[in-house]
Amino acid sequence: MSESSREGDAQVDVALITRWQRGDQRAATEIVERHAQALARFAATHGVRDGVDDLVQDTFVRAFHSIDNFRSDSSLRTWLFTILKRLVLDRQRAERRSRNQVELDEGHAVQEFNALDGMVADEALLRVQQAVGRLSPLQREVFTLRVTEGMPYSEIAKMVDSTEGACRVHYHNAMRAVKEYLSDEGVPER
Amino acid sequence: MTDCPNGLMRDLLPEYARGVLGADDAARVAEHLDACAMCRAELALLGRVQDGLALGVPRMNVAAIVGALPKPQPVVRVMPRRGVSRHVWQYAAAAGLVLAVGGGIVWRRAPETGAVRVADSSHVAAAAGAESTQSTASVQSEHGITFGGGLSDLSLNDLQALLGQMDSVRTLPSTDPESMTPVIMNEGGKTL
Ligand SMILES: [Zn+2]
Repeated sequence: MSESSREGDAQVDVALITRWQRGDQRAATEIVERHAQALARFAATHGVRDGVDDLVQDTFVRAFHSIDNFRSDSSLRTWLFTILKRLVLDRQRAERRSRNQVELDEGHAVQEFNALDGMVADEALLRVQQAVGRLSPLQREVFTLRVTEGMPYSEIAKMVDSTEGACRVHYHNAMRAVKEYLSDEGVPER
Repeated sequence: MTDCPNGLMRDLLPEYARGVLGADDAARVAEHLDACAMCRAELALLGRVQDGLALGVPRMNVAAIVGALPKPQPVVRVMPRRGVSRHVWQYAAAAGLVLAVGGGIVWRRAPETGAVRVADSSHVAAAAGAESTQSTASVQSEHGITFGGGLSDLSLNDLQALLGQMDSVRTLPSTDPESMTPVIMNEGGKTL
């Protein structure tokens, strides 16, 4: 599989980080412009309804504080996603604690994902969201990283602490489940 | 929707849809899509999933995020530039040699501005002598600074008088050592 486009992207990120470390603040703006929206999408797929801006901002602040720890053996975006994911888990844990709730099982997690209910004007897109929301958390994460970011299995595997082969299986199972849900619902395909 | 039996092509569809494939792979997928309705349908579904997952996601305020970021902290260390100091000492040693061999002659023959320069040289040589130069010539500049042999030959009174006279020399050496230059280094100590 050709990696040329992705490698070019990775080189741009590394060059921007180096510029920032040398004192060029404009490089920070470019880094944020390149990844902020993807982080927001990623947060949404993790069921974050409120404070997406704060979460994404916290992610960047943490990342820039420890930018020396960034190793370019994975992409900057993957590293940022990992930080955001940790923040989401921390936040969910804190919320659960404050509500004095027991650990949510996967069934609850699926409900958690329905973050955009009522906000979606397009019925067909709402169906798509429901289809994705019914996936297991692991399937959903692999599927959305693959579909929304075009992330290679090798990077996804690092993010979910699994293997490339397992991620490929999760992706194709998720795709089958989404197709089945949409065909069961009789949603016309555009 | 039936799945295409070409697993490799199906695997590339998400990256094709995101436009992150290299040119060669993108061309192969495009060629396959021309001939495969199943992959065209799956590509359309991928587009819908992308739209569905992007819908309702707030637009990020880049300026606000950047404003909250820590400022870059390049490590700044003030250190003398080795090249400059070596240059100065080479000049001082050369000046000392000139004084030792024929400073007086040069001084007498030099035009008015040249005389100042010889006096400058003696100023530098006096400093250099403390380090390394063993000057044996007896030199008297226009400012009346006089010494023969090394500085070690001078008494404390002589030295104090010499220092007082040097203070009266208003013309500075033309190779006044450059000011300390900040050298920006990164965390690893590598000069940028
Ligand atoms: Zn096909």
